[in-house]
Amino acid sequence: MIIFRKPLTGIERPQMEADVVIVGGGPAGLACALRLSQLIDKHNSKHPDQQLTKENIYVLEKAREIGQHCLSGALLDPRSMRELLPGFEKEAPIEAEVTREAVYFLTKGGKFKAPITPPPLRDHGNYVISLNRFAKWLGEKVEAAGITVFSGFAGSELLIEGERVTGVRTDDKGVDKSNQQKGNFEPGYDLKAKVVILAEGTRGSLTKQLVARFHLDRDRNPMTYGVGAKELWELPPGRIAPGEVIYTMGWPLTSCEYGGAWIYGGKDNVISLGFVTGLDYPDPRLDPQRVLQEFKLHPMVRALLEGGKMIRYGAKSLPYGGWWAIPPMAGEGWMILGDSAGFLNSQRLKGIHLAIKSGMLAAETAFEALSQNDFSAARLAGYQRHVENSWIKQELWKVRNFHQGFEHGLWAGMFHAGLQQITGGRGLHARYPATPGHRRLKKLVELPADGGAEAHLINDYKGDSKLTFDKLTDLYHSGTKHEEDQPAHLVIQDTNICNTRCVTEFGNPCQHFCPASVYEMVEASDALSGKQIHLNPSNCVHCKTCDIMDPYEIITWVPPEGGGGPNYEGM
Amino acid sequence: MRILVIVEQREGKLNRVSLETLTGAQAIARETGWTLEAAVVGSGVGEIANEVAGKKVAKVYDIESPQLAAYTPDAFVAALKPFLADKKPTAVLMPHTYQVRDFAPKLATALGRALVSDCTGYKKEGDKLLFVRQMFQGKFSADVAFAGEPPYFVTFQTGAFRGDQVEAGASPAAVETVQADVPASALRNKPGEVFKEAKQAVDLTQAEIIVAVGRGIKEEKNIAIAQQLAEALGGEIAASRPICDAGWLPMDRQIGSSGQTVAPKLYVALGISGAIQHIVGMKGSRTIIAVNKDSEAPIFEVADIGIVGNLFEVVPPLVEEIKKARG
Amino acid sequence: MKILVCMKQVPQKDAPLKLNESGTWIREDVSYEVNEPDAYALEEALRQKEKHGGEVVVITAGPARAQQVLREALAKGADRAIHLEDPAFVTLDAANIARAFAAAIKDEKFDLIFTGLQSDDFGFAQTGVILSELLGWPHATIIMQIEKANGGIKVKRELEAGYFQYVEMPLPAVLTIQSGINKLRYATLIGIKQAKNKPLRKVAIADVQSSLVANQLNIRKLYVPQKAKKTEMLEGPAADVARKLIEKLKNEVRVL
Repeated sequence: MIIFRKPLTGIERPQMEADVVIVGGGPAGLACALRLSQLIDKHNSKHPDQQLTKENIYVLEKAREIGQHCLSGALLDPRSMRELLPGFEKEAPIEAEVTREAVYFLTKGGKFKAPITPPPLRDHGNYVISLNRFAKWLGEKVEAAGITVFSGFAGSELLIEGERVTGVRTDDKGVDKSNQQKGNFEPGYDLKAKVVILAEGTRGSLTKQLVARFHLDRDRNPMTYGVGAKELWELPPGRIAPGEVIYTMGWPLTSCEYGGAWIYGGKDNVISLGFVTGLDYPDPRLDPQRVLQEFKLHPMVRALLEGGKMIRYGAKSLPYGGWWAIPPMAGEGWMILGDSAGFLNSQRLKGIHLAIKSGMLAAETAFEALSQNDFSAARLAGYQRHVENSWIKQELWKVRNFHQGFEHGLWAGMFHAGLQQITGGRGLHARYPATPGHRRLKKLVELPADGGAEAHLINDYKGDSKLTFDKLTDLYHSGTKHEEDQPAHLVIQDTNICNTRCVTEFGNPCQHFCPASVYEMVEASDALSGKQIHLNPSNCVHCKTCDIMDPYEIITWVPPEGGGGPNYEGM
Repeated sequence: MRILVIVEQREGKLNRVSLETLTGAQAIARETGWTLEAAVVGSGVGEIANEVAGKKVAKVYDIESPQLAAYTPDAFVAALKPFLADKKPTAVLMPHTYQVRDFAPKLATALGRALVSDCTGYKKEGDKLLFVRQMFQGKFSADVAFAGEPPYFVTFQTGAFRGDQVEAGASPAAVETVQADVPASALRNKPGEVFKEAKQAVDLTQAEIIVAVGRGIKEEKNIAIAQQLAEALGGEIAASRPICDAGWLPMDRQIGSSGQTVAPKLYVALGISGAIQHIVGMKGSRTIIAVNKDSEAPIFEVADIGIVGNLFEVVPPLVEEIKKARG
Repeated sequence: MKILVCMKQVPQKDAPLKLNESGTWIREDVSYEVNEPDAYALEEALRQKEKHGGEVVVITAGPARAQQVLREALAKGADRAIHLEDPAFVTLDAANIARAFAAAIKDEKFDLIFTGLQSDDFGFAQTGVILSELLGWPHATIIMQIEKANGGIKVKRELEAGYFQYVEMPLPAVLTIQSGINKLRYATLIGIKQAKNKPLRKVAIADVQSSLVANQLNIRKLYVPQKAKKTEMLEGPAADVARKLIEKLKNEVRVL
């Protein structure tokens, strides 16, 4: 019997009052904190007798240290950082300035180079960064600015009174596998806040609670996602220049799947390499980590990586839904930033600059609220107005129908994309609808037993341990660690479905789409199907793919005990 | 130039691990040409001194005082400090036991010297002796050199040398009794009786022999087969993560990145595939024997002896043979 | 009881480590954490304070990044912190670290000094014992339990092979604490907030320089241990394999 994590009931919880609680210490949350600090400092220097304090502004970060759960390619468009910290390039950790880009369409053994780089993918003026290092650096600035960062603490539940979000409950610590208090039990705090700013990143768990509770997805497109599997490689010198950017499409995916790879040259001969697979593929046996391995076998990639060493692995989902899938951004006591809202430009494959900008705009509204002591929905709605009047809207409006255009395959998508390019993003309709990716999974009976065109991605493989790796070996390089004795944080509503219906209908796709081997079907002599679901929660890399992709919508990812998770150093 | 080995005795019996230190010292003596002497510390431990004198050493010192009957760091340092100041050995070697850990750093500091602890070996580079020890939990080895004046203090890890390879002397060495002057007032600690207690959690890091099971064991009841092997060998049972996850063995028996890291004399891996998460917990073992049905299992990459086969067929006859050999 | 806990910041346990250019140390650009045995020493000190009142002071010697260890300790309930701040401390030997600690606390009067039983990076297991000798204090190592008794303390020492021993000692004393003897407490939000206002005294290496001497131990070389591993595969029917293995267990492995 698996016991799932739930905040303990019937216990006394310590209370703490706050002005602003920012849930998430990624680029959005940290930019928000930093901007808010700047605005308060400016105010205080002008109004020495009406000082605002930063004492009650908190950032909650579930990782043990800021940056450990940050994973991205990544290419930074410096636009918003220049607004936040002019001249940031001089002190921020930057791997390289982009020098050249190339886009390839891959076939099994060959490649076609795009004669010109499509404008959205032109990266001149952008920087190759390690988001982990960048966030660490931003985090140091936030702490130096006097804002308290509680790292190792997760936001586990929203506190809601009536129609208002009144705060955040942090994770219960020291709870054993059966949800019983251990000797060092510490109840999560009820952080009462005048405004809660959700910056949890992709598929935020509190954001999900908020959307469900207040039906924020009414009249919106459902959010759609991709999952990126990434490896850092140390190569012999001279293989690829720092700042060299390569994008690929095609192999090993077929025209039925959305996705592609990136290769970014960093410094010290370290490259960032990864494959994003759209979480809307039809075959439930598809395994995004496997797709990355298969990609490395392409002659172009194999030649690049020859003699190199894989030094780190990670995976994370990305919100592709675009403008129509972004929920209302502010309400009674809450605001949503960055990937949690869905501020990602799926055409340019960039979101960090939008996350930072959204954080800055939210900070401006939060500052207005603080100085007027007015945290009503009407006041906080200022944030939504700021976003709609900013270049965030300008940029995302142009690509509002981009990802949806690919729902009928690669070629249809290219057609729509082309059309949208010349119609300011409109394409054929004002608003293209979207289907949630997991609803597009086909049942096994509808698919060829060997996988058909996807056979090369579905057959048994072990990896050669030099160029390609099995999932557990890759996982070891993610530095993932959790307190072992705690309840499972992958909350499955009804494990009977896993053990019966899902076995025959979809073949338990969780085993495949989870990039960390959290889900396993093991032999169970007493189960009808002969199998039962087994969880390895401490393998979890917090990518949220399971929460997104499970066909029955019975998995809810909640944060495990704070301090646990991957360690994406250098990622 | 002189090497002095301080052997350990407990309640009138020589701690066998001291023979390992003697073996190492004899090897160093052979290479350097230095004189090898030994010392035993206690009260009424003449017999132990005689036992050590039977090994190939130039001389044995029996350092006596009634205050040395029960071990205390104060008494041992009070007895050894003037002795070493007088004899001026170049190197003082001891086994890295709990007792030595307790007093050796104090002794070295009292003489203004340094101690390199938990060494796995030594190297001779020219006329310089370097001592090898593991660092960063076995990820790296370090060659450590002494700077300054002798005596140089070194403790050796259990198993660094083979106690059974210690050379016997052609004839018993001379035993010199040294009456140590240890005033009762020097003893600040009052030790009680040594007693045994069933420990709450098993400390696999102390086990010399470990038999570990993995998924290949198939069912909980089959663990009995591995347990029989462990018993026959006089070792401890352990497991890879899936076994402990399933509750077939308690968590404190888990070896690997989310369990314990061990480096025993012998590690027998039964039905363990060798995922990297497990390997990092046991690859420091002196000898690894692996049994697995799959010839491609990664465990064979770290094994010294590999058997591709069905563990249910391989283990039972092995247990029988071991019982026969043990008599 | 006034207790000093000596703590060390070490590279994270499973962080991938790389050698520096000269091969004498590791590259410092890794994640760090508190030395796990020291966390248990701190926990024991905090429990003693809860039982008997008093003060818990934490001290560390290391570069600026080591402050994190002190902050975490303050957040868990330590009252004061002392940071011997300088990158040079990373490569000083145990005796020098002990000398630096002794110099930094010369004006304080502690009843007890705790250290972890050893560090996860060096694994020397000496600093505490050396410190006791420099201070002229009694000491005991690998301690599982501490009780007040007869004007001093009674401690439970762990010995090999499941044996234990009680020892009565006077105060002040130095104890090295065994790991895993209790459950480590979590820092709370309030604790973290309060930690910001707790005294953290910085001591420059210059302030203790006169107590330090040249290292008496030097790491000549740090390297990945070479394992010339050639796997010997035993083949044949189970009975034959068993017999072959017995021979090896007898003659090569030497366990029979």
